[in-house]
Parts: sequence; structure tokens; C-alpha cells
Amino acid sequence: MTTKKMAAAGVVHVAPLEMTIKPQALTAQFNNLIGVIGKLEPVFQKGVLIPGLGGDPAAEIPGAEPEPVYDTKARANIQGNTIPGFNKDHQQFLFFRLGNVRRAKAWLRWIAPLISSMEDVLAWVRAYRALRKRLGAEPPMCATWINIAFSCRAIELLTSRADAAAFGDQSFRQGLAARSTHLGDPTDRAHPGHRNRWCIGGPKNEADIIVIVAADDEPDLTTMANLIKAQAAASGLRLLFEQRGDNLPGPLHGHEHFGFKDGVSQPGVRGKVSTAPGDFITPRYIDHVADLERARIFAKPGQPLVWPGQFLLGERRQNTEHLYASAPPASNFPRWAALGSYLVCRRLRQDVPTFWKFAISAAAALGIPPEKFASMLVGRWPSGAPIMRTPGADNAALAGDEWANNHFIFDDNTRASSLRAIPGYAGDTYTQATADMLGTVCPHFAHIRKSNPRDIATDLGKPHDSLLRMILRRGIPFGPPIVGIKRPSPGLLRKERGLMFLCYGATIEDQFELITRRWVNSPIQPNVGGHDPILGQADQYGVRARVIDFPTAGGPRRLRIKNEWVIPTGGGYFFSPPIEAIAGVLAA
Amino acid sequence: MPLVTRFDTPASLRDLPAGHAFYDIWHAYLAGGLITTPGSGTGTGEFFDPSEINVDPVAERLLVWMGFPRTQFVTHRDDRRTAFVNADASVATRNLQNEYCEWFVKRNAAGLITKVTVVTETPEYWQRLWDADRSRVVALYRALVSPAVVEADLRSGGPGSAYNKFNRWNTTDGIVHFIQSINTLNAALGLAAGSVATGAARDGYEMPAVAPTSVDPRVKLDIGALSRKGLSITLREPIGIYIVGYDDTGWTKPSGAPVDNYWRIVRGSAGMVLRLEYEVPPGSGFVVGDIRIGGRRIEWGGQIAEHVTCMIGGIAGLRTPR
Repeated sequence: MTTKKMAAAGVVHVAPLEMTIKPQALTAQFNNLIGVIGKLEPVFQKGVLIPGLGGDPAAEIPGAEPEPVYDTKARANIQGNTIPGFNKDHQQFLFFRLGNVRRAKAWLRWIAPLISSMEDVLAWVRAYRALRKRLGAEPPMCATWINIAFSCRAIELLTSRADAAAFGDQSFRQGLAARSTHLGDPTDRAHPGHRNRWCIGGPKNEADIIVIVAADDEPDLTTMANLIKAQAAASGLRLLFEQRGDNLPGPLHGHEHFGFKDGVSQPGVRGKVSTAPGDFITPRYIDHVADLERARIFAKPGQPLVWPGQFLLGERRQNTEHLYASAPPASNFPRWAALGSYLVCRRLRQDVPTFWKFAISAAAALGIPPEKFASMLVGRWPSGAPIMRTPGADNAALAGDEWANNHFIFDDNTRASSLRAIPGYAGDTYTQATADMLGTVCPHFAHIRKSNPRDIATDLGKPHDSLLRMILRRGIPFGPPIVGIKRPSPGLLRKERGLMFLCYGATIEDQFELITRRWVNSPIQPNVGGHDPILGQADQYGVRARVIDFPTAGGPRRLRIKNEWVIPTGGGYFFSPPIEAIAGVLAA
Repeated sequence: MPLVTRFDTPASLRDLPAGHAFYDIWHAYLAGGLITTPGSGTGTGEFFDPSEINVDPVAERLLVWMGFPRTQFVTHRDDRRTAFVNADASVATRNLQNEYCEWFVKRNAAGLITKVTVVTETPEYWQRLWDADRSRVVALYRALVSPAVVEADLRSGGPGSAYNKFNRWNTTDGIVHFIQSINTLNAALGLAAGSVATGAARDGYEMPAVAPTSVDPRVKLDIGALSRKGLSITLREPIGIYIVGYDDTGWTKPSGAPVDNYWRIVRGSAGMVLRLEYEVPPGSGFVVGDIRIGGRRIEWGGQIAEHVTCMIGGIAGLRTPR
């Protein structure tokens, strides 16, 4: 072989040189840094009138494939945390084991009328927005919502073996514990994240039912959760575990425990609330006259539209070869399960000091600020501002601009979005992202690039395929925060904290598991460059070290990550049925 | 000076002694197959022959894709079992294994899988090796597939006749290299060269959907994006289609314990694997078909191919004066 210039230019592929990170006593640096992380509060634009629900004829694209209409009956049948999502500050997750089936059915008949539907949530949001418009301020409105989902075992007990077997998603039928190590969870039984040690969802403590209670008001939450628990106990259900979740307080609202804004990017579900022109579930902001191609694909900049069958069984779903055409619905489920969704729950403990101490050490070795380093691991600054659009520093105004903070692609220059008129909105005036095909700005390993590849090719091909993988995330933190607290006390540090990760989809295997296994956990997929250092796990022959190839001016340097800061501690695979089926089928 | 003065064999294989004319033949084949092609549309770059054009490399990119055919998964998107059954079925042509990755499944009398062999070797290489030294080809077949191989098995007819790539040891009774109709190095080179033409696409969302495979859009999008930046693009030496990764996370023995490392690189090297075998060592008390992936027994070779990642390497740079 004679590849003289390639060798001279250092481009013959070998693993990047590994950089040694010296362990240091970092308590002082950590104490100083942790107090300021996440303090940069997004600046939300004032005076912007977000178009309300009810339809805007101008949002209709002439000649576009009709989207399904979810009338009042359908909306009343779809659980509200699936679409549009509860998004409440306080939530309680109750995990039950079935006892006597007949008594459990009585409890299901009791709880069925309490289940909050898509209609309930959308109506509340509509009323909330109307009142906010009249008041010019956040209205004092509170709601308490409940959803429910069932394991495959529970469905078998409550219906029949045949019905349970008719669920086509094999991972659901197996359950999370059976799939745990395939998701990269520890194989070592001594590891705190081993499934045998989980507080819920391990081989010996799998839940049959999860009840999600969500409220604006904490006492309301407690009252409702207590009522459900009491009724369940009286019906022979055993409460295996419960977990409280709360949005972080103050400027950290919407952030996870490492201090980063979470849940910025969600797919937009196609479909309409009524036959009124433009009355879409997901409001459309792209001007189709100015940019037809983007308007066909995106609801708002960076929010791709996805056919509802990717989340609701029995609905038209994404075409595997097309960005905006639909494909026929799936049929591999019992008929009564139509409009239901699979629900993945993962209780993830976060070790915040370990994460930030690694960031401090690695950043020191690389000669960059730790906040910048950590933001490159995530792909966003703590405020939520995307590093692709503001590589040098966090930007509170960009973070607070929902039409700009998710508008970027990776492989080519991002062109300005063509937005429909939004009263009071001055437009996306921030510098647009420039092409970063080599991952020097937002590295290939960055969490948001791994889990949402956007425009780039992946190991499965085209972006069309990536739309098949999207999930509706409904997570919420648990435990007290330490970010934003200078010199957190030893007692506070010892307390457990993490994320209740929840997501909905029409398959578990081809959505949540695929993202986890093929992308987040792989150092070479969807692109070569390392594991996702936030959520990724490695467990090959017991070795759990991960690597990232960090971009530097002299080429990538390999960093080996020996510590873990996200540890699985529980969860389950569930099915969130259509509401009618709770009393009509499961409790029948 | 050109980037490459002499094209090497895939993974720098040395199947014949150094200095053998075969290496000149291989170089000539690649030099003839790599045709400098200008981009078009928004793709203002070019695909270039690195043995002729001077380019200063500025970037390297490994283009990776899943070894199992995506076409089967999306055609049977609600029925993975059928996808696996189909992909394993046509051993005589392997016509559904269309991702530049083919495999062969060996089973025991009980029908359990005992070995899966995954290859990314091209027919072009083996044809030229046959033309250069057929006795060496026979020897390699014996080493790779079965000691029972004789030259007549590999010919299309009598003594002196052409190499038959559909011979029994490369179809029904084993595997050495690709036979699927479009799994050729020539097709891969054509795909790469043609990808500098990007039409009106300004980004990945605007690229035509192309084939339902993983590999075609992977190459089209990556090379297209480089071409839109005005770069000169070629394939990385040694040019070949490789297995770059294989993942057995969450695979378990019948006892439930994690598997040991049962992968064996038979041809190529780590990161540039051409032939990969998965087989449990004798005496372990179980076979591949007893292993479970995420709780599911391995019943088809495609389940292993799903966990194999293939790759070609790309180089991009800017033209420099001679």
C-alpha cells in the first residue's frame, strides 16, 4: 500500500489517540461549578400570540394527503399522556401487582371513568390558553389527570392468553427485565444497575399495572394518589413501588438533574382535532407558499411531522420510504387495542457529582471550560440552546425561542425557516447553523445527535427511516436537585435523584429499543465517533467503559469514560389501552 | 503526487506471494474502475481516482450500515420472523441479502445453528485470484469451507473452464464471497461515484429516497453532502467493503450468563474484517442455536447479521496542483 499523503495528513483511519484524564480531587471545583449550572434562564419572548387551537385555514397545504380527524369520540378514547401529554409539574407513578382478578376488574371499573383522555387534556389546554389571553398572565388553573397502562402478563390475566399473544411487539410480550441486558444494562449481579436490584421491574418485582397521576398542585396529587392506592388495596392489588416525580424548581424548570433543559425536541403528531380547515393536533408554523418542502415535513422548525400510527395502534403510519406520505396501519394487535400505545418506563438514577467531575477533569485536559465540554456531550447548552447554533456560549434568548431553538440540521448549512406570520414574533434572527458533517461542533457522540439524527444518514440509511424511530417522551425528574446549589450538603448529595423516563410508541422494539441499542449504545452507529455519554451504556464481556472521540483542533482525541452517571434502577414495558377498553375489555 | 500510487488488495490480503502479477492485476482493475466523475446539481464536488488526481485530504468518513437487509425489515415491518426466514432462505443465490453483506448458516442434526459465517468479500477479487492461480483458490476454499473441495467443484465445466461463483461451496455448502447479483465491488464503486450528482437537493431531507436498503442511501447521502461542499471524494485505501463492528450485548448462554467472545476474524483484520465467523468453541456444551439475544433464541443467521455493521471508508479533500 502506498498512501503517502493520507498517512502524512494523519487521515489513515486508526482509533484516535487516547487522552489520559488524571483523577483529581475535585470537590472545590465541583462545589463552585454546580452552583451556577442551569442558572441561565431561557428568555421567553413577550407579546407573542401563540396561535390557539381551533384551526387556521392558511395552515392547510393544498393537495396534501388528508390527515385523520380525531373526533370527540376518538379523543375521549385516547389516553391524554400519550397525546398531547400531561406535562404537569408533579407526577406520581404507582406500580401495582394484580391479586384476585375478579376484584381487580372491579377496581378497573372504578378507575376507568377517572382516566384522562386526549379530549380532557386538549380541552383544558384550550381553556388555559383562552384565559391566559384574557388575563395577560398565567391563569390560576389546576388539573389532576390520571392514566393507566398494563403489562403483557396483566393483559393475559385480565383477558386471555390469546389476546396477550396477539400483541405483535415481542419485546412487550417479554417485558423490560428480559430485555434489560440487551439494552446495555449491567450483566454483573453486583452492579447497582443490575435488574435483580431494581426497585421495580426486576425479574421478581415486575409490575402488572402502572398508574400515572399528574397534577399542577401538590396536595391534589397526593389526594388523588392516596385515593387510588386505597381503592386498589381494597381490591386486592399490591402496591409494589411508587415514585414521585417533580419538575425542578425555579430557573431549572424543565431541566434534568445534570442541569440541561430536557424534552426540547418532540415529533409533531399528524392528525386533526376537527374537520375545520387547519385544525391540527400539532400547530403548523411553516409557510407552505414560501417553502413547500419544509412545510410538508415539519410542523415548526426542527419538529418533524409523523403519522399517528407511529404512536397509536391501528392508525395510518409513516411510510418507510417517504418523508411525508403515510402507510397502512399495523394490524398485529387485538382489535380492542386500537388507539392504544406501548409505554416504556425506565427509572434512571443520575449521579450528578460523577458526571460533573468527569466534565471538569476532561475539560481541563482539553483546555476548555467544563460547561462547554458538558454541553458538547449533550448537544445543547444547559438552557436548551443548541450548540449547533451557538457554539461559543449559551444563549438565553435562543433557548427561549421555540421557533429557533430546535431549528438546525447537521450535514448541510441550515437555511432560514419560512414561518407563517406569528403576531408579536420578530422572527428567527439568530445565526443559522453551518454544516457540521464531521461533528466538530456538535460531535457524533452528542446525545441529541445520537438519539435524533435529523437530516443525516444512519446505519439504516435515510432520514425517512429515522422518522420511524421517533418516540413521544414524557419524562420527569425525581429527587431533589443539586444543580444550582452552591456547596450542596453531604446529606443532599447522598439523596437519590434521576429521571423517570417514559415514552410512547407503536412498537417498543423498532422505536425505543432501536434508538437505545443501535444508536445510543453504539460507538459506531448511526455514525462513528463514540457512545452517547449521557444515556449510552456498554457491557461487552462485563466491561462497561465507554469511549468518545472528542473533536479538537488537532483531530479527534479518544476519551475513555470509566464511570457511569446514569444507572437503570427500574421500569417496565406496558400497554396504554384505549380508554373504552379498560372497562369494556380488561375489566369485563 | 497522487494520493495512491498503487491500489492494495482488500484489507491488504496477501493470498499470493509478494511480487505476484496478481497484485498488478488488482491495481489495474481498481484504477480502471475508479473513474473521476464530476458532480452535478448542488453537488459541486467530484468523485476522483486517487491514482491520477492530486488531492489534499481534509476529512475521512466511515460510512456504516446494518448487515441485515433493511428491505426485509420494512417489507415485513410487523413480522420480524418472516424477515429472518426469508433472508436466510435462498442459499443458492442469496438474492435477498442485498446490503453488501452475505452469510451462511451451518446447523447440526437437530437443526440448531452451530456456526454463522458472514462475508464481505467481492466476486471480483476471487475471479482475479482464480485467473492468477486457481490452485491457490482451491487451497483457500479448503481452508475456509471444507477440506473436501476439489478444483472441479469450482469450475463451470471441464479443466480450464471458467470460475463458477455459484459453486456448491459458495452457495448450498458454504460461503466464500458475494453472489447476490448487485453485491459487487463494481456496483459499490458505481454507487459511490454516482453519488456526487445530487440534483437539486440542498440537504439530506431533499435527497431522493433511492433504494429501500440501508447502504444505498447511506452512501448517496454522505457522499452527496461532501459533494455539496465542493470536495473531491474517493474511497479510502485499501478499498474494500468491510465489517467494522459486531455487537453481542445482551446475548446469553443457556445458563443465562453473558456469552463469551465467540467471534472469530478469519480474513481481514479488526476494523477491516472480510470474513467473520460466529461459533461456540467445542466442548462448551451448547451451540450458537442455544444462545439467546435479548431473551430470544438464535434461529436464523439474519439475527447475527442484524448485529453486524458494514463499512466503506471515504476520503474527502481539495484538489491540489500536480
